[in-house]
Amino acid sequence: MMALIRPPRSLQGRLLLLVLSGVALVWLVTSALTWRDVRHELDELLDGHLAQAAALLVARQAQEMEQEDGHGLDAPTLHHYAPKVAFQVFHEGRLALRSANAPVAPMVGADRDFRSGFKTVQLQGRAWRVFAAHGAERDVQVYVGEQVGSRNDILWAVLRSTLWPMVVALPLLVAAVWWAVRQGMQPIRQLGRLLAERRPQALHPVTLAPLPSEMAPMIGALNQLFERIGQLLEAERRFTADAAHELRTPIAAIRMQAQVALGASDDALRNHALQGTLEGCDRATRLVEQLLSLSRLEAADSPAMDDVDLRALARRVVAELAPRAIGKQQSLEFEGNENGPCVMPGNETLLAVLVRNLVDNAVRYSPPAARIRVTVQRRDGQVMLSVEDSGPGLTEAEQRRLGERFFRVAGSGESGSGLGWSIVRRIAAVHRLAVDVRTSAALGGLEVRVVHDE
Amino acid sequence: MRILLAEDDSLLGDGLRAGLRQLGFLVDWVRDGEAAERELRAQPYEAAVLDLGLPRRDGLEVLAAVRRSGIKTPVLVLTARDAVPDRIRGLDVGADDYVVKPVDLHELAARLRALVRRAHGQPQECLRAQDVELDPASRTVRKAGEAVALSTREFDLLQAFMLGADRVLSREQLEQQLYSWGQEVESNAIEVHIHNLRRKLGPALIHTVRGVGYMLQRDQPRP
Repeated sequence: MMALIRPPRSLQGRLLLLVLSGVALVWLVTSALTWRDVRHELDELLDGHLAQAAALLVARQAQEMEQEDGHGLDAPTLHHYAPKVAFQVFHEGRLALRSANAPVAPMVGADRDFRSGFKTVQLQGRAWRVFAAHGAERDVQVYVGEQVGSRNDILWAVLRSTLWPMVVALPLLVAAVWWAVRQGMQPIRQLGRLLAERRPQALHPVTLAPLPSEMAPMIGALNQLFERIGQLLEAERRFTADAAHELRTPIAAIRMQAQVALGASDDALRNHALQGTLEGCDRATRLVEQLLSLSRLEAADSPAMDDVDLRALARRVVAELAPRAIGKQQSLEFEGNENGPCVMPGNETLLAVLVRNLVDNAVRYSPPAARIRVTVQRRDGQVMLSVEDSGPGLTEAEQRRLGERFFRVAGSGESGSGLGWSIVRRIAAVHRLAVDVRTSAALGGLEVRVVHDE
Repeated sequence: MRILLAEDDSLLGDGLRAGLRQLGFLVDWVRDGEAAERELRAQPYEAAVLDLGLPRRDGLEVLAAVRRSGIKTPVLVLTARDAVPDRIRGLDVGADDYVVKPVDLHELAARLRALVRRAHGQPQECLRAQDVELDPASRTVRKAGEAVALSTREFDLLQAFMLGADRVLSREQLEQQLYSWGQEVESNAIEVHIHNLRRKLGPALIHTVRGVGYMLQRDQPRP
């Protein structure tokens, strides 16, 4: 029957249903047990009475046989309960005595062998509980019977007295449980109200007083979520502001160079200014591209990973950037011990961006004629990429600040945005790579190590 | 008018220097905060354009430091930060003007001229002395309403005299006003230019104080 009832959707309805079902079940089981016990006790008591009555009748018949010989006597009905009981006394197969409502034939007749004990039989359409007994000489047979229905009446009377209070109590119980559950659910409703009343921008933590212990984890998780969203929004806001500010400088440069070109009195000056204008456009483009790739990186939490041969990838990037280095008369070299590929799990596109940024930084910020060395090696289960140069290097304070968005190293004379490092850090984080910045022992400039631990 | 430009961005710095030169400024360009502070202490610039995001030393720190040591050179802060608190901080630290990138070249020049004028207590755009009128914006000079043709150096020298009117200026001071870095200072050049100015504008304007220097007299000498 429960399966037919759709479980209620409200928590309160659920609790109400569960509590009331439990109460009803306990109540039914109690009733059943009571019924069984009462019935057992009642049977024992009444059966005892039947047996005792039969014993009395047997004794009486034996006495009577010595004194007189009276047959077929009907005993008088003495009590209004009497119709519900009946007895028969047979002497040598003949009916000697019976109650008024008893039949003439033996109450237990079907079974010839039956001489003594209890038996339930059907008489005149009613169930009777009959006790049969016989005298010592086996010439006296006594049957004492009692209507089973009367026993049931007693049973019902007993059960009724226990059931009635429960029936009356049930609606009261429903109301009480409903009220209690409603009170208990109050904090949940309060939380719902609080959340509904919040403005969408509101990210302050939810507070509920008093806070039920069951709801503490929920509220805690909720507040953590609010905090995380707040941090993300803040980072987003800061990033947008920083990006906008960072774009102002190249735009200012473009504008200035264009105005110089407009007001230039000779061709050389005008050409120089126009070149500057173009260079400014290229720089703004590069900045926009870096911003885009950074925001894409921040949006994509887990890019598709594959097995990547870091050595082959680094060699490709070095080949790609070599013309720039040659243009600055720098020597750009690649070194990798050739015992098999240096494979690590990663996203090839992103890793290429990482390596390109590192090598590009080295080329960009090292002076002309500097040496730049890119090394990929596998050692002790680690794959390590190292980019080192013979440039001026960085102070420790500057090394620490690398990777802060838009942090630019002083006096480099190069127009970078400082975004390259943010990108490197971000890609490394996605790949769980350790990035280490130090002074190169071999070349004296900056060394950046990217290590993949297996 | 000789000014200091402190800007770390090579492209923007190059553009600013070229543009301001076109408009008649003498521009010395430094690329970091330390150099900016050093130059501001060493040279009597008419004005300075200061970027805030300077390497080595932040522009605001530079500004605060030079103001603490009593250097009154008018400073125009040029920055990408346009939030009101940033502006307030900049002005409080001692900036005389606050301009957000990108800026129009002509507006920047006009603001610089205004700063220089105010620093010399001259609220009008045109500088006047006796019957001579000098317009820094159009770089023209009139005497009694008649245009007078001056060379670039002569104009700059006259402007320096007019800004420092009624004060004796030494030859060295005048040279500093007239030549930016790397420009060869010809010997006797100042004397030659003053001679030319006297010839074109009349002998009563610039007086020689023997052994000390020269002085431009703003008002007509009383007969």
